[in-house]
Amino acid sequence: MKVILLRVGELFLKGENRYIFENALYNNIRKSLEGLKFTLTKTQGRLVVGGFDDEEQVVERLCKVFGLTSLSVAEEVDADMGEIEKHFSTIKCDGSFKVNVTRGDKRFPLTSMQVAAELGGIILDNNKNASVDLYNPEHVFMVDIRQNGKAYLFDKSIKCQGGLPLGTAGGALLLLSGGIDSPVAGYLMAKRGLRLEALHFHSYPYTSLEAKQKVETLAKKLCEYTNEVKLHVVSFTKVQEEIHSKCAPEFMITIMRRIMMRIAEIIAKREGLGAIVTGESLGQVASQTMQSMTVTENVVKTLPVFRPCIAMDKEEIVSVAKHIDTFETSILPYEDCCTVFLPKNPVIKPKLERAEREERQLDLDALISLALASEEVVEIKR
Amino acid sequence: MIYLDNCSTTPMSEDALKEYGKYASACFYNPSASYAEANKVRLKLDEAREKLKKMLGAKGGEIIFTGGATESNNLSLKGSEREGKWEYVVSIGEHPSVLEVAKSMEKKGRVVHYIPLTKNGEIDYSFLEKVLNKKTRLVSVMLVNNVTGAINDIKRVSQLVKSLSPQAVLHVDGVQAFKKLNFSVNALDIDLLSISAHKFHGPKGVGALYVKNKTQLKNIIFGGGQEFGIRSGTENVAGIMAMVKAAEEIDTEKAFRHVKQLHDAFLHEIENEKGISVVCPDGSPYILCLLFAGVNSETLVRMLENDVVVGRGSACSSKKAGNSVLEAMGYSREQVKGALRVSFSDISTLKEVESAAKIIKEKYLELYERTK
Repeated sequence: MKVILLRVGELFLKGENRYIFENALYNNIRKSLEGLKFTLTKTQGRLVVGGFDDEEQVVERLCKVFGLTSLSVAEEVDADMGEIEKHFSTIKCDGSFKVNVTRGDKRFPLTSMQVAAELGGIILDNNKNASVDLYNPEHVFMVDIRQNGKAYLFDKSIKCQGGLPLGTAGGALLLLSGGIDSPVAGYLMAKRGLRLEALHFHSYPYTSLEAKQKVETLAKKLCEYTNEVKLHVVSFTKVQEEIHSKCAPEFMITIMRRIMMRIAEIIAKREGLGAIVTGESLGQVASQTMQSMTVTENVVKTLPVFRPCIAMDKEEIVSVAKHIDTFETSILPYEDCCTVFLPKNPVIKPKLERAEREERQLDLDALISLALASEEVVEIKR
Repeated sequence: MIYLDNCSTTPMSEDALKEYGKYASACFYNPSASYAEANKVRLKLDEAREKLKKMLGAKGGEIIFTGGATESNNLSLKGSEREGKWEYVVSIGEHPSVLEVAKSMEKKGRVVHYIPLTKNGEIDYSFLEKVLNKKTRLVSVMLVNNVTGAINDIKRVSQLVKSLSPQAVLHVDGVQAFKKLNFSVNALDIDLLSISAHKFHGPKGVGALYVKNKTQLKNIIFGGGQEFGIRSGTENVAGIMAMVKAAEEIDTEKAFRHVKQLHDAFLHEIENEKGISVVCPDGSPYILCLLFAGVNSETLVRMLENDVVVGRGSACSSKKAGNSVLEAMGYSREQVKGALRVSFSDISTLKEVESAAKIIKEKYLELYERTK
């Protein structure tokens, strides 16, 4: 019978709390395979998925479960030398190989070395171009004999995402603009165990409905990894018009971002989320200088702001965006609200006092309330 | 909601829809089959071909039914392309289905001349005269520009082509002209003319190409040899029949007079607003290309969309930034950003148009105030 063996990474480091991580992982795996036929069993700390029809789909989804480092599609047979040999006699092998045996069940009559030698012999007998190379083989055949009376035979392992099980680190609010960076930031933080909700600001009619639909598509792509994303969509039109008419043009973006952060903090706290996540990368644009971030972050009083892309080059961000399949959507040419009312010379090193002075021209509380009143929530699921 | 984006597409007429249903269902037979029912369909198709020829003012020549104007334009250019030191001439104001083919030919190493536009939106005839020579293989100039409504003097173009480049064929994109302006391919001495059904209340996905001399045109689609071997594939019978029905229903001259009245009424409503200017006031009355100073027309289109539906330049290229036709006429990026296209149809009413003009003016002023 075909099964999938799952391997976990950092979970082993979690000491007393390990069971919390394991349970979360267990539940996340079940959730990610929802709608497909499967069984999930835990034996000797090893997770095994079986009973599936659609191997390709199951593997694809498992590869996106955070906390798994790799998986192997294996043949499950009774832990009996005759059964194992029967399988090995069907193996086709061209070139050098070795057989690796691990014996979790010490009651098994032969030692690992003896099993390996026996099975290697079968391969050599059946394949005239095969040769043994213990140090640099082209093929490695694995045999894992477990205490449950089963042996697992496989020859490949597929890399998974790694990271920590989703939700074990709590929840965070991702500022999702529609560009390349923010989905990447969301993915990277989710990989560290954060459950995500997202916040998008739109400026209809300055931005199009397509821009909003694009963000929904991006959130949907993130759901491949997070199963679901609650997307909060807030209209920023009035805020931008007010800033545009009352504040110095070079401070447009600084003040916009300060108001976005204030709204993000309000929503995050209301939703019980413990952090704000942005896609900022140091020095990428005027609003992403250290000074700009200082002035922007100053308004967030009680939550940390995570910026996982901060030290990444654009190319590195793009490569992650391609990996998570958000790149092609992100580059669709719809304006996002940051490009509306774009000043010719945005301030690169804003001073906090000046930003605060500019803001005094605005009725901040009223603008924020108005924006929050426009909030729509879209529950996005994979 | 008032619909004034008729250059982009039009709703199908009821009779065309009925005709479509008839040939999609009851008379569904493959016209190439050999039994009697199929033969009846074949005869209807040939009848439709003749009707279309007549409406185009063709004496001789042939109609090739296609999947729309993009295909007709591609077929005209690619089907006229020849090996050797030939030259190709297209106007820079052409639809992407001509320009992109020309660019692809250029990439292959063919010589392509792009005729610039003058300030009034027409092609630069003196430039055309200069580049035409004995090696010219094809000239493509549209009759009515889809962005501005500017009307090119095709008679003048064909006279230049025939006298200076006797071996050249003249292709005319007639998409915004057929059933809107009175013209005849024979009188204008046109070799190839493209039309599209959904611009005159026919269905989408069907069009035609008038071909004066079909032996001059190579096929670009290979298969069963339908449409004289030039366009293989089972004919879209329902689409074709509906297209011809839709065309027959329109009295071009009567429709023109009606639309001219709409056009003038619209201009009258906005004439005192100095922030709004008209790009080609003397072009086709079906198209009004307007420039709104100091605003982004994309925003304006969205502000209007619940009341009045209008387009921005060419819908086919609205996904791309900029508007190359207006830039080719010498308008600045800033001016082009404020460009909006209002386009009428024979079924638009005077009341609709007057009220649309008022709304557009109002919303423009509102947007201007909000963003100044």
